[in-house]
Parts: sequence; C-alpha cells; structure tokens
Amino acid sequence: MKTDSTAFRGFREFLDGLGGEMPSEVLPGEERVRRARNTFRDKLDGPMAVDLETCIHCGMCAEACHFYAATRDEKYTPVRKLKPLWRFYRRELSPMRWLFRLFTRDVTAQDLQTWQELVYESCTGCGRCDMMCPMGINLSTLINVIREGLASAGLVPAELQALQDEQRDNDTLFGVGANKLREVIDGLGRRGIEVPLDKSQADVLVLTTAVEVLLFPDVLGATAKIMNQLGIDWTMLSHGFEATNLGLVSGDNAAQKKATAKIVEQAKGCGAKTVIVPESGHAYQALRWDGANELHEVLPFQVLSMSEFIAREMDAGRLKLKPPTNGGSVTYHDPCRLGRYSGVIEQPRQVLKTLGLDFRETDSNGRENFCCGGGCGEYVIKRSAPLRQKVFEIKKREFDETGADVVITSCANCRINLMIGADNAGWRTPVESLVEKVADSLAG
Amino acid sequence: MTLLDFARGPAMQWSLTILVFGVLWRILGAVLIGRKKDLSKPRRNTPVKDGLTTIVTRSLPVRQFEKTIRFQHYTGYAWHITLFISILFSAPHILFFESLLGFGWPHLPNDIILVNAAVALSILMALAVRRAGHPVQRLISNADDYISIAIVIIPLVTGILASAHIGARYETLLAIHLLSVEALFVWFPFGKLMHTGFMFLSRFQAGATCGRRGVKA
Repeated sequence: MKTDSTAFRGFREFLDGLGGEMPSEVLPGEERVRRARNTFRDKLDGPMAVDLETCIHCGMCAEACHFYAATRDEKYTPVRKLKPLWRFYRRELSPMRWLFRLFTRDVTAQDLQTWQELVYESCTGCGRCDMMCPMGINLSTLINVIREGLASAGLVPAELQALQDEQRDNDTLFGVGANKLREVIDGLGRRGIEVPLDKSQADVLVLTTAVEVLLFPDVLGATAKIMNQLGIDWTMLSHGFEATNLGLVSGDNAAQKKATAKIVEQAKGCGAKTVIVPESGHAYQALRWDGANELHEVLPFQVLSMSEFIAREMDAGRLKLKPPTNGGSVTYHDPCRLGRYSGVIEQPRQVLKTLGLDFRETDSNGRENFCCGGGCGEYVIKRSAPLRQKVFEIKKREFDETGADVVITSCANCRINLMIGADNAGWRTPVESLVEKVADSLAG
Repeated sequence: MTLLDFARGPAMQWSLTILVFGVLWRILGAVLIGRKKDLSKPRRNTPVKDGLTTIVTRSLPVRQFEKTIRFQHYTGYAWHITLFISILFSAPHILFFESLLGFGWPHLPNDIILVNAAVALSILMALAVRRAGHPVQRLISNADDYISIAIVIIPLVTGILASAHIGARYETLLAIHLLSVEALFVWFPFGKLMHTGFMFLSRFQAGATCGRRGVKA
C-alpha cells in the first residue's frame, strides 16, 4: 500500500468527510456535568485514588508527552489533563473531602468542553508519561476515566462518534462488513490464498479489522499464508471478524462491552482455544486485558497478538522460512498498546532479526517509544491534524536517524497515521506490516 | 509555662497526634475505596516482587527520559539527601530521637550540619523559583505546592538560626524552631508532603500492574 494508491487516497477523502454532518449530542450543561460525575464516581477506585494523592506536580510527565515535545505548549502536560477528575476526587471521594471541598471548585460544563480537546485531541493514551513519572502514577488510565466521563456527557468528537454509531447500528466500520470481507477473501482465493471462512468449529479464531480489509488486504493474505503453512485448524467469521473496538477509544463503556461480547460469543461458538488479534494495539488491549473485566468472566481461550503468535511459532521452529538473506535495513515502531501497555516488545524484534534483516532501533523505542501521534482514534479527528503532523516530525526524525530503508510496525492504525504524516510531508520511506514481512519470507 | 515549655509539651503532643492520625486517615481512606479484581490472565504473576522492584527502580531516571529531566531529577536527589542529613545527623535531633526511641547514633559536627542545611535551603528555594517560573510547573502548581515549600523552609531557617545562635536567646530560637516543626507536622497530612507515604504505594501498584502485563515498570 502506497500513499499514492487509489485506496489510500479514497480513505483520506472518507476521513475528511467523517462526522461532518453530525452534531454532538445536545445536552444541558448541568446534565453533562451530572453524567460525567457519575462516571467518575463509578470508575475511580483505590489505586486511582492513591495515584491522585501522590502527584507532587513536578511536571516531568510533560517531557514524556509527544504533544508537549512537539510544541512545548504547557497545556499538553499530562497531569494538567487530569484536572477535572482531580477536582471531583478532592470534593467527593478524598478522605479529606470535608476540608478540600472548601478550597476546590466543582467541575463545570465549561471544563468538560475545554477538556474535550485535551483528552481526545491531544492525548492518545499512549502511556509514555506513565513510564516517566517518578511516583509511578498511571496517568493514562486516569485520563481515560476522563474520556469515559466525557463520553457519558455526550462529548465524544463527531468523527469518533460517527464511527462508533456505525459499529453499533450497522455492524460495519468504514462501510466494511461481511460482504466486503467475503469480496476480499474471494480475491485472495483467486490468488491461491485460502481463508477458511465461517467454519463451525476451529481451534483458532483469527480476527481482522475493517482497516485491514479495506486498505491492507495483503496483510490479511499474509496472515492466511502463515496460518495455512502452520497447518492450524483456523477460521475467520464473516459476522465476527472485527477486532476494532470503538467503545474503547471513544470511552463509551457500553459500546466497548458490546464489541468485546460479540467476539467472545463467536469464539465460544466455534470452540476456539485461541483468538488471534490482528495488527492493532487497541484491539489487543480491548480483548487481552480489558475483555475479561468488561464481561466479568475469565475468558475461556488464549488471546495472542499476531506478532507474539508469529514469534512463538518461529521460536518453536514450526514456521518454515526461506534461508535468511540480506533483505535490507528496517526499523520498528512499537505500537503503544501492544508494547509498553502489553509487553509485546521483544517478540517483533526477534521476528525481524530471525528474518535476517538489518534491524536498527530508533532513539526512543520499546517501552519508551514515542507514539505515532494518532493512536486511540485520534487519527480520525480532523481538528487535531496539524498537531499530529508536528508529532510526525519527531517520528520522521527518529526514523531518518536510523537510516533504515523501511519502517515496520504491527498496528494498522499506527501504519495509517504514519502514512498520512508521510503523505503530508512528502516523506518516501515505506511503512510496512510485520506480518507481510514474515509472509514474504515463508518457505515453499 | 514558657514558650519553650509550650513547644516541648502540648504543642508537640497535639501536632504529633494530628500527624499520625491524619496520615493514617488519608492513606487508609484512599486505599479502602477498594479495587476490582483483575480477571485477565497475567503474563507474569509476581506482583509483590514487581511492586517492590519498582519502588526502587523509579528512583532512577530511564535513559530515554534522563536528558530532559536532568535538573529536576538531580536537584530532587540533592534536596532529599541534604534534608535527611539535617534531620538525622544533627546532635540535638539525635537527642530528641533518643528520648523517643531509647537509642541514638553518631552525629555530624555542627558546622557541617549548618552548611548542609544552608545547601538544602538553597536547593529548595531554587526549586521554588523554578516552580514559579517554568511554564509547565507554574501551570500545574496550586497553593498546596507553595504552602508546602514554605512550611518546610521555615524549620530549616529557624534550625539554622538556633544552631548558629543568631538573633535571640537560644531558648527562644529553639522554641520557635520547635513550633515551626510542629506547624509542619500539622500541615503534613493535608498537603502534598503526603507523597512521602503515598509514593511507595503508587510505585508498588505501577510495578505490579506493569509486571502482570510483562512490562518492566
């Protein structure tokens, strides 16, 4: 997929028109505040209270934030983004609330409006600040609670809301549903790549995303090649393929739970022992870490990301590869929710090295990697495009410093966002998928 | 009752009572809000080890971040080290601890303690100036930040004056110093100085959470 392809240009046009006709939910200010407060009360727990109590306002978290690093604008300081939640906590839940209430003003409707920009358009929930904080405060989780509060107050940005409504109402995303998936799978079949669709029973359920189907069908093909070579009993379900969870990114818990429940139900239905999440950081978080907690049950299957699955199979010697050749130099962009959130950091590096590629690290990498700037749904929000482009300049500089021929990542959303940044900047280094790179090296 | 008797007697008892009960109240009140059980399958199930490790490792800057936080990080170290030297190795303080604990330890010479306290004072004032002047810190600071700095500076200043016998009779200087420390004890449970206790909990839970996902915190 290149940035001058018809599909990519069409997708950019689609994003430009997304949510344009859709007004935010109109609610009186008092109702917005009431709903946000209820969500804050429901979500805040002991560990979060400890985190809110611990902050010493050192401001070091600013240095970790890509939006601050790109602009030096202090309003992007992560701890600043916690202010509404901190106010609520001090007034309503703190053990010293009887005193703090006298000196802490309440959250207002204006605060919520103002914070929409700060938590949706200038925070990707990447968690880099969590790693920087000398107190060990989990800032990204607290900021996500504010997202959830704003979502309940009807303040999800129009673009995200439009996508979330599409997933909830039509069971499609970007217009991609079962029919489009079948069309792509038929196309792969004509190229000799078989995708076992809608098997009633299978050991492994493989998910994909609308973005992959729409923009990166070759990744889907690469996934199928790998699964088929391994001889695994696997399937993909035309009415349960979507790993994307718009509820997680928008902060709408009901939507998140519904999307997760659908996957779990389908996996149980086909008796899957393993569910493989495609190259999508937030989708992995949604199922691997949040899934059981959203549904209040231990999931009866193993959840693996595509990159950790490949690393496992390579390590076990089950994946047959061509002899390593000098395939050029590559660098790797760690998707935040796959890397520092989920611990899938060494596996993709191991895969790239096994393929015989000249692997080069960017200055920031692994758990300290800079976010692509468009995570957690931010790449669809038009208003934040100039800000994201500034973050892209950080990424571009780091990639260029490695001198690598290709940037590899294992998240379709990171890939799109980096491609959009590259397209805007006229930057020509390809951004490719880890899965495709592996499939290109398969023996036979 | 003289001012010194008051400072050594009821003021000390009340301030220590507020300190102990206030700290317990605030920490337990936050912790006892409770937490939901995490039902996801852990990648690693060693929360105590991961939590305790992170209590230590978060004192060290991460390579990637170190270059951008150098000033704060190293002044933070210097401030805390000089503060604890002043508290723990001054001869009169050790006598006080001995009266409470029943045992003491060697002290540093008074001149060294005075210089150390002056350095601590200078660092804290530099941090206060930075807080007021740096755009990020100025934006995120509140009254608590400045009151807490002031409430720590005053015992340092009165301690230096008492040790150096400057400005008034020693008994008066000592009484003022004790009262300033007691003001700090009273303020402690209500302000950001509580990070002294909460820090261990927040670092521990960061380590445990990251560890279960297989991430080094």
